Amino acid sequence: MAVQSDSGGKDDVKTQFVTREGTYRLMTLSEYSRPNRVGYTSGSGSTHVRVSLVTLPPGAAPGSDGPTSEDRICFNHGKELYVYVYKGIKKAADLTKPVDKKMYKGTNPTCHDFNTVTMTPDSVSLVIGFSTGQIQLIDPIKKELSKLYNEERLIDKSRVTCIKWVPGSSNLFIAAHASGQLYVYNEELTCGTTAPQYQLFKHGDGYSIHTCRTKSTRNPLYRWIIGAESCINEFAFSPCGTNLAVVSQDGFLRCFHYDTMELVGRARSYFGGFLCVCWSPDGKYVVVGGEDDLVTVWSFSERRVVARGQGHRSWVSVVAFDPYIVSLGEPDTEDTREDKSESAQSYRLGSVSQDTQLCFWDLTEDVLKPAVRARASTHLSPNSNNICSNGIPSTKVLQKCPKNNKIGHKHAELGGNNAAGEPSAAKAAKSKTNNISTLNINVGKAKEEASGSLGVNFTQRLAALSFGERRSDHRRNFSLTKSTDKSSAANTVALRGKSAGAQTNDSCDPVKLIGTPSCPRFDECPVLEPLVCKKIAHERLTALLFRSEYFITACADGCVNTWSRPLRSAPGPTRRDRVDLTD
Amino acid sequence: MSICQDLGLNFQQRMGATASQLEKDIGSEQFPPNEHYFGLVNFGNTCYSNSVLQALYFCRPFRDKVLEYKAKNKRTKETLLTCLADLFYSIATQKKKVGSIAPKKFIARLRKEKEEFDNYMQQDAHEFLNFLINHINEIILAERNQSTLKLQKTTGSGESVTCNGTVPQNSEPTWVHEIFQGTLTSETRCLNCETVSSKDEHFFDLQVDVDQNTSITHCLKCFSDTETLCNDNKFKCDNCSSYQEAQKRMRVKKLPLILALHLKRFKYMEQYNRHIKVSHRVVFPLELRLFNTSDDAVNPDRLYDLVAVVVHCGSGPNRGHYISIVKSHGFWLLFDDDMVDKIDASAIEDFYGLTSDIQKSSETGYILFYQSRDASC
Repeated sequence: MAVQSDSGGKDDVKTQFVTREGTYRLMTLSEYSRPNRVGYTSGSGSTHVRVSLVTLPPGAAPGSDGPTSEDRICFNHGKELYVYVYKGIKKAADLTKPVDKKMYKGTNPTCHDFNTVTMTPDSVSLVIGFSTGQIQLIDPIKKELSKLYNEERLIDKSRVTCIKWVPGSSNLFIAAHASGQLYVYNEELTCGTTAPQYQLFKHGDGYSIHTCRTKSTRNPLYRWIIGAESCINEFAFSPCGTNLAVVSQDGFLRCFHYDTMELVGRARSYFGGFLCVCWSPDGKYVVVGGEDDLVTVWSFSERRVVARGQGHRSWVSVVAFDPYIVSLGEPDTEDTREDKSESAQSYRLGSVSQDTQLCFWDLTEDVLKPAVRARASTHLSPNSNNICSNGIPSTKVLQKCPKNNKIGHKHAELGGNNAAGEPSAAKAAKSKTNNISTLNINVGKAKEEASGSLGVNFTQRLAALSFGERRSDHRRNFSLTKSTDKSSAANTVALRGKSAGAQTNDSCDPVKLIGTPSCPRFDECPVLEPLVCKKIAHERLTALLFRSEYFITACADGCVNTWSRPLRSAPGPTRRDRVDLTD
Repeated sequence: MSICQDLGLNFQQRMGATASQLEKDIGSEQFPPNEHYFGLVNFGNTCYSNSVLQALYFCRPFRDKVLEYKAKNKRTKETLLTCLADLFYSIATQKKKVGSIAPKKFIARLRKEKEEFDNYMQQDAHEFLNFLINHINEIILAERNQSTLKLQKTTGSGESVTCNGTVPQNSEPTWVHEIFQGTLTSETRCLNCETVSSKDEHFFDLQVDVDQNTSITHCLKCFSDTETLCNDNKFKCDNCSSYQEAQKRMRVKKLPLILALHLKRFKYMEQYNRHIKVSHRVVFPLELRLFNTSDDAVNPDRLYDLVAVVVHCGSGPNRGHYISIVKSHGFWLLFDDDMVDKIDASAIEDFYGLTSDIQKSSETGYILFYQSRDASC
């Protein structure tokens, strides 16, 4: 395939592109798709091709005919689902010999996930969600396992939009539906022969959680109703597995502490639904993409939107951090930035969209650091102070609220100062630096407190940064009679009752949220430009996964592509020459 | 649209079935009180009118004003506006909740008012909308002038009223202005003297070019991209007193209550010597804010909800069919002439367009109606 140059037709599909770390190349021989694509039109229904990838533990491979890959790739297309041996940047496996292939009648597979806890060298559990609401559990390697959940659609009739195993769990998985509900299943339990009767377990601002009212435990263990019947588009666990971020068609990102089921933070799209969500590798940021064509960066610790990325020409379908660039980027920061703060860190983010383009974004410290916040807060309307930074009243958060508010006030003062002595930007910056140091301390303290109350040590979280590694001590208690939980739930309800009149209704109204930390006005929030923005397909893109040697994209026509990373110079302190951002 | 020659028969057969089906689909408890879903009978290629009328009927501020007009103006001479008011009134006061109605008087009047529509050919729905809005506005202005003339004969009518989406400066805006009119500000920077001049102009709808695999948001941004005026298209700079190269961009200064967006899907192609339909996939969200507002915009944060879409089905401007999808009380309805169906919101994606050019025919969003949220509550 000829390599296109940017000077040519703008709409040419790129097979390679350059960033400062080097050249990414499409591995044209590593394309995975259905074996015979001739005469196959994508047909009816939405064609959200998703990709799941798993690396099986190395085992004594019985037939040792050369170095076979431990990776397995799964993707869906229309009514079909394929599992192949995945060979990365090497030539693709024989497409006529899939590990497993499924063809469904009357329903389409929509999403899937491998269980990385129970997998062995020769078995893995794959859970699959369908457009008609059912869920299937199979072992594509051993082929012995096949279980169905929600088979009679008694639990939910709507499309499964996202399905994932609970981090670290051998048997719990979560399925989100277009109905706006999210269910926790235990794969060992049955779904019963009648429609589940629910009882309220917990509820908060814009969500409620229910359990089944039965003597014997059955599926679903929990039902989460999030928002007002608006489709949940995706959810993602934080890298440490503690927090669950959920994005919906109602334009909200809601971040929950998974075990306590408390809503810890929220963001609103500029407009339209949020379609995709991911966490930064250190769990500090949540990035969402949506129908506003934007990539929105939300700070978990500050509970506010810190930046928006504008570059896509249509809806953003997938966002994903590249965890391998975080570490790569760091040595660079020393010599390229004037600001040599010790906490200097930048992140690499990737996004793909219905516009058939791939974008890379650098989230750098100058955008993310709180100094920007001080500047931004000068624009905040005065009444935004009485909404605590996450905008949500709840027991847990209430305890922290005074602290948060204090910070908020500090900012307000700061803002006032700056505004007063504003005209010269340089002067303002000077006066700011003094204040910022104190400010940082404050924020740091708040963080410590927050992490304390959540029972998660932030440094620990950072240490456990490496992708794919699960916290082994992560346990969940699903006993329904746990009295402490109940009483705290009751507390929440009572508290909410008090505050409801004052805040609850307003807090969900996007017209009123504009100009608050959950949805700053467009000119009040830093706008990022993509590092690169390349058209890489003819059809809309639906998947993006980063691995150490390559990244994977998929598009609506059912093609899964592998892109090789730039050749890495010898690992270690050797510094690569910076390549200008041209191509 | 094939002209329904067997219209009478076909229509009666269909009506009974669909009418009850729609009620069943919505459910008697869910059926909104005081709301009527009535299809409009096709009088031979009048779907361009039917689709636009349905969309307008479900733009609540517009419907309310038309019905208010009907209530206030009991006996005036027949105009297109009185015909429209009678039609809306007739739908709104039906005993049945669903059914169909023949907009006979309206179509007859339309054919009298405008020669171009006085035939049985397919017309452009956007041209019709444009004509209708402007024409109604003129009627209101004319009636107002008449009444002011009656009241105070001392001063003459003063300024002449030319209404091509513009309001004479010292004239009160009409309700049509209040609903549909926005303001564009075009800033032109002369590349010779660097002087920036800006000029405001009013609009009833924005006409945007469509690109493949984009969103309406992107199309609107492109609408406001900086354009360089050069060669034959130079800018007459008052400061330089000569034609100069200049940069120009148009941004929205006042956001209308109802934002009508016309997707320019009919492109003139020289090689074919005719208009060709551009079926590009352009997604449109149910909720919208504008990025292309000017720095001095009055209400740049205005949040819009999609309330109606006029959809073109077929392969070209002179063939094909128009239907409309509208939002009413939280659910979506599809109006296809005399037929009305409840549809799922997820079915809207069927009208975004096509990602490849292989298929000749497509069902694509053609005119989008976004209503400001502060208007409805």
